[in-house]
Amino acid sequence: MSPTSRMTGFARQLGTIAITLLGLLVLTFAIGRLMPADPVRAIVGEEATQDTYMQVYTQLGFDRPLPVQFLMYLRDVLTGDFGTSIRTGQPVINDIMAVMPATLELATLAILIGAGLGIPLGVLAAVKKDRWPDHVIRIFSLMGHSMPIFWTGMIALLIFYAALGWVGGGGRISDYYIGLVPPVTNFIVIDAMLAREWDVVRSALNHLILPASLLGYSSSAYITRMTRSFMLDQINQEYITTARVKGLSRRQTIWRHAFLNIRVQLVTIVALAYGALLEGAVLIETVFSWPGFGQYLTSNLMTGDMNAVMTCVLLVGVIFIALNLLSDVLYRVFDPRTR
Amino acid sequence: MTGPTRLRLIATVSAAALGLSAPVVLAETPDDQLVVGFSMTNILTLDPAAITGKETVQVLANVYDGLVQLDPVNRTEVQPDLAESWEVAPDAMSITFTLRDGAEFASGNPVRAEDVVWSFRRLLTLNLAQASFLKTYGFTAEGAEQAFAAPDDRTVVVTLPQKINPQLIIATLGIVGPGSIIDSVLVTENEVDGDLGAAWLAQNSAGSAAFTLQQWQSNNLALLTRNDNFWGEPSTMRRIIWRHIPESQSQRLQLDQHDLDIAFQLAPADLAALETTEGVQIQTTPSAGFYYLAMSMADERFQNPKLREAIRYLIDYQGVNNAILPYFGEMHQRPISGGFFGLLDDPGYTLDPEKAKALLAEAGYPDGIDVTLRALSDDPFLNLATAMQGSLAQGGVRAEVITGSGEQIYGAMRERNFEMIVGRGGGGQLPDPDSNMRALIYNPDNSDEARLTNFQGWRTSFSDPKLNQMIDAAAAEADDEVRRQLYADIQNRIEEVVAPIIPFSEVVTSVAYRDDLNGFVLNPSWSTDLATVTKTR
Repeated sequence: MSPTSRMTGFARQLGTIAITLLGLLVLTFAIGRLMPADPVRAIVGEEATQDTYMQVYTQLGFDRPLPVQFLMYLRDVLTGDFGTSIRTGQPVINDIMAVMPATLELATLAILIGAGLGIPLGVLAAVKKDRWPDHVIRIFSLMGHSMPIFWTGMIALLIFYAALGWVGGGGRISDYYIGLVPPVTNFIVIDAMLAREWDVVRSALNHLILPASLLGYSSSAYITRMTRSFMLDQINQEYITTARVKGLSRRQTIWRHAFLNIRVQLVTIVALAYGALLEGAVLIETVFSWPGFGQYLTSNLMTGDMNAVMTCVLLVGVIFIALNLLSDVLYRVFDPRTR
Repeated sequence: MTGPTRLRLIATVSAAALGLSAPVVLAETPDDQLVVGFSMTNILTLDPAAITGKETVQVLANVYDGLVQLDPVNRTEVQPDLAESWEVAPDAMSITFTLRDGAEFASGNPVRAEDVVWSFRRLLTLNLAQASFLKTYGFTAEGAEQAFAAPDDRTVVVTLPQKINPQLIIATLGIVGPGSIIDSVLVTENEVDGDLGAAWLAQNSAGSAAFTLQQWQSNNLALLTRNDNFWGEPSTMRRIIWRHIPESQSQRLQLDQHDLDIAFQLAPADLAALETTEGVQIQTTPSAGFYYLAMSMADERFQNPKLREAIRYLIDYQGVNNAILPYFGEMHQRPISGGFFGLLDDPGYTLDPEKAKALLAEAGYPDGIDVTLRALSDDPFLNLATAMQGSLAQGGVRAEVITGSGEQIYGAMRERNFEMIVGRGGGGQLPDPDSNMRALIYNPDNSDEARLTNFQGWRTSFSDPKLNQMIDAAAAEADDEVRRQLYADIQNRIEEVVAPIIPFSEVVTSVAYRDDLNGFVLNPSWSTDLATVTKTR
């Protein structure tokens, strides 16, 4: 590929990203304005007089025409100002920086569990197709996929927290330790390690393990099914038969040939599952009182806090685009044909 | 990786995992810390001038003092707080408060009369949610200079802008929010662009009560630490940890496991389960407001008092209170809160479809009517609306239930664009019948342009000039006996003209807490003092 055409391709990709993000913002803004939520009422309360209502209404700029409001928001975003949250009165970026580590901690451990469980199970299911391990794995993954995570969360809390006492209840940390570790990164496990507060590390992991396992289990269901399907495609290919005929062991054929060829697809689905965990863990965050991004986005949506909602949507869009780009890059690394 | 190495790695990881999941000793909450579960969803700011809803009041009651405080048991009384005494002028047009000597804010700054005056002027200047408490009685930002004065460091004079019973103003100043006294020196240091410290106070505190805000994380936690400069008896609790636990069942589990001391927002099913849980107690107290069925008199049909009266007999008062409202409300049929001055006994209405049918026929609707009935889609409103739909149908009122969010239901009511609604509200945070009357009945201007959306009388297009006059007169009356009679007359008049808002239950607050807590007394005005709570261990 010549440098010129590479540049053109790059510019086209950037243009697509910009248009996608703009479309996302327009859509979110429109939905936000159509939603039956009144941020001004949320601020002034049910009993406020009309003059108080109008004063705040004007202060927030709602008296301007909608297109003007949107263009002003867009102008601010382009200059790096994502606005102030109506809910917290803080710059939205600061709010997101405060809640994102909680979600990253949860989602990262969850995806490690999900992929760590889902990929081997998917391979095993493909290799043992239509035999009992395949059936057991299918049931296992179907359960993970179909049980409402809100319900699973409550049941898991009942068993592992209330009955067995193996894990902590809600929140990121036990009450004893709140305020003990100075926030540096806002990742509690890391901050506690930096402060060498090992009891706090243990408490944080103890609170993290159950919600992360549940989310991981839920993700693993999807990853398992996809891995099985990718593997079956490969196992039925002629090169696998040839490899076996040439005397390669079954294990080598599976892991060194078939599995290596599905890495690219696996990277994509794991990346997408990770993206979904970052923005979609709201139910588990609610059950476990986990102060993360999902809760932040949902509560702002309910209040009609559009500065916060649009920045969150923008962030989710950027995360997905970044994950897509990352998987594109990995495609090129793993698959020489795409270079 | 070789086989043995891989095995070693697996063994190590397994051991670590087992170590992590080994039974953890989940001890009780710390002896010197109070852990409270509640929902922070409605907390948008911690600035006393701007707060809305009871959750913020619950937190700030332990951070800010007022001149006076509302008695948690006897709702008609106020107790001294920063003011050790007060005196009403002979003409009842001013109140002089004397501040206690030696009181300090958490910052160490002395509490001066100047701070008190600054706090009230700030409240009116910002004109946010809490200002309406004072605006109702004629206080304005423009008149604040004259209304609040500090002749010396320990004296505050409040001059009433209109003839009003001074006791009403004294009680208003006991409410957390409008009555909260702020450290003006500290806040002024943190003022940005003339915002009177609004941005700073949204996340910080500048009070003088037993605790101070150490940390607030929206939708996560509010951490209060003991104020060592507190002028009163220091709390035995070193910290109060307010944790955002939006899910009722999670609160219940954590209370049961003793990871929580108090659970403020439990659903009735969880409260019922906790009734029989060892080590847990439940306290229920009247709160502010009522559950009501309201009609819009913008709908011509409801301008007919006979029709409104018919609706009065189509509510299963006993049934909804027994079946739907345990822990939410208690049966109540007067528009004045329980325990308030001048409240008459319930008139004793019951579900009587035959009487309702006769009234409907008298009103000119022998075949009944079709209406829409709005209700929030949350508990208990949806169940209430369904029950109402059933009882209304018994009299021939065919209700189509419309459910939705707050904006769809109360928003429509504020726009006067509804027929019937099952709602909640009606004042009562200020422990005086005037608060109920202003919220539910009073409507000085019934025109659409007036947009008196804070008055539910206006929202229902109900306006009775005589009642308005009586409410104003009762608010201004200083003589207790005369005032009591006025409220009796008002309640009788409301029954006579059949106001379109029919209360059927009084809102109550039900809270579950561990039985090793002593001194926990819920305040009906939400300002529960946790500084006096101790633990018996």
